[in-house]
Amino acid sequence: MRKILRWRGGLLLLAAFLFVFASRMDHVQAHKEKHTPEQLKAFQDVFMEQVRIGDLLFHGDGDTEKKFDVNLSKTGMACAMCHPFASDTHPHEFPKFQEQIQEFATLRDMINWCIENPNEGERIDVNGPAMKALEAYHYWSNKGSVLDPGKH
Amino acid sequence: MIDLERERRETQRELNKPDERPDPSLKITRRTFLHRSLVAGAVTGAATYGWFPLINTLNLAFGAQAPFSFAWISDTHLYPKTVNTRFVEKATRAVKEVQAMKPAADFLMFGGDLAQLADPVELRLGNDILKEITIKKHFIPGEHDWYLDMGKTWVSLFGNSPWTFEHKGVQFIGLDTVSRAPDYWSATKMSPKERMGHMATLDGSVAGPWAGVGSDQLQWLSKTLSPLSKDKPIVIFSHNPLYEYYPPWNFWVRDWRQVHEILKPYANVTNIHGHTHQVLYNEIGTMRSIGMLATSWPWPYAPQGVPQLTKPMIRANPGDYFDGVGWAKLNVTAAPKVEHEYMMWRKDVYAEAQVDSGTGDNDNQILRPRVADQMWPYK
Repeated sequence: MRKILRWRGGLLLLAAFLFVFASRMDHVQAHKEKHTPEQLKAFQDVFMEQVRIGDLLFHGDGDTEKKFDVNLSKTGMACAMCHPFASDTHPHEFPKFQEQIQEFATLRDMINWCIENPNEGERIDVNGPAMKALEAYHYWSNKGSVLDPGKH
Repeated sequence: MIDLERERRETQRELNKPDERPDPSLKITRRTFLHRSLVAGAVTGAATYGWFPLINTLNLAFGAQAPFSFAWISDTHLYPKTVNTRFVEKATRAVKEVQAMKPAADFLMFGGDLAQLADPVELRLGNDILKEITIKKHFIPGEHDWYLDMGKTWVSLFGNSPWTFEHKGVQFIGLDTVSRAPDYWSATKMSPKERMGHMATLDGSVAGPWAGVGSDQLQWLSKTLSPLSKDKPIVIFSHNPLYEYYPPWNFWVRDWRQVHEILKPYANVTNIHGHTHQVLYNEIGTMRSIGMLATSWPWPYAPQGVPQLTKPMIRANPGDYFDGVGWAKLNVTAAPKVEHEYMMWRKDVYAEAQVDSGTGDNDNQILRPRVADQMWPYK
């Protein structure tokens, strides 16, 4: 009798587990649903707005700097003056050992180095909105480049 | 892109036929020297600035009646002193070095972009700095000198272009390659500052293909050259290169083919230009072209179009603002030859490997024009 009760208890436990698992599956699979064109456009719009902001910051737009409360340069130099089309920035080669910093560095580390050194500006929050926008602009400008982390 | 590439290859084939080269006697030799000041023991200067400029010498058959030298300074990009004294320091240093040349240069050629935003304060500051040079000075404008007041201050301080003069058997010509931009400002009612801002953005697309010689100046050039013998040594100064290097950054003049047609009968033409802020050398048709350094900052090599004849310079250290910049000295001798010397304020000038010059970056990077120009109100 005890054995039968134990078996019934075990089966109930298994049924409860399967029920919970099946209900969670709905959530797990949610992202696999097809994206609508509207959704894709919305995602792209979010990205391109960040690229646009990054472009303006990279080209020394004073209003955008004010809006994000950053001071990227005190010399009149903008990032784009040494990096037209974001050339010679190589976002696709980070992380890597960066000679100027003498450390293993990310793209964000290097952006801050350039702000503080050649531009004599003020370091920005590595996870802040200005940094994210600058990063978006770097990657967008170099889209299609071969990913080659660590390359010097 | 494929069409553009094909067109460039066809152009290259057309212009570089076996008989379409500079005079074969004009051999280029490259020699490297330590700068005189180091040989003379000016160790203090070297220690202070890391100043070990190497000298690139191009021997060109020239036929000058007597040896002489001239100096080139360009692309100082001065801001008002309240904004930036860095560029003032470098322009001042170049000026002092030109003034100290012994024997003195016969003249200074200033190749444009004296100012950054054509502000009269910047142009007057530049004029004051250049006053220290007492030899004869000649000027051509850059786009950064022009588009705030459409050249009014520039012309009042430095006069009009084009111009020409003969000096010791060599015909010198100065062209204006910046003032004939198509009107990109009226339709959107830009303020003069906005107009200048777009012009000052090298990688912007709003100002479009602004660099050009223009039909009126082409006619003037043709007329000026017509009485000259075909082997007359001719040096043409221009702010932009007189060939197609990289149009998106206006590293060209849009009517370079017409320029070439005019120059074609002349066997001994050298174009010396600024704007590109880097070591460049090219031969196209019968013309050779030499790119000069800026005193302000160096540009990276463009993602495509770097002339194969260029021995590229080493990528500059962004932490050292005296790196990758300088001025130039050109000696015209009775040999006859012209020695061209990059007076770069650094230890090494030339890269031995692509990785050191940045020209190797093109192997694995694809670049796109800026996005902000592709949105309203510009598109």
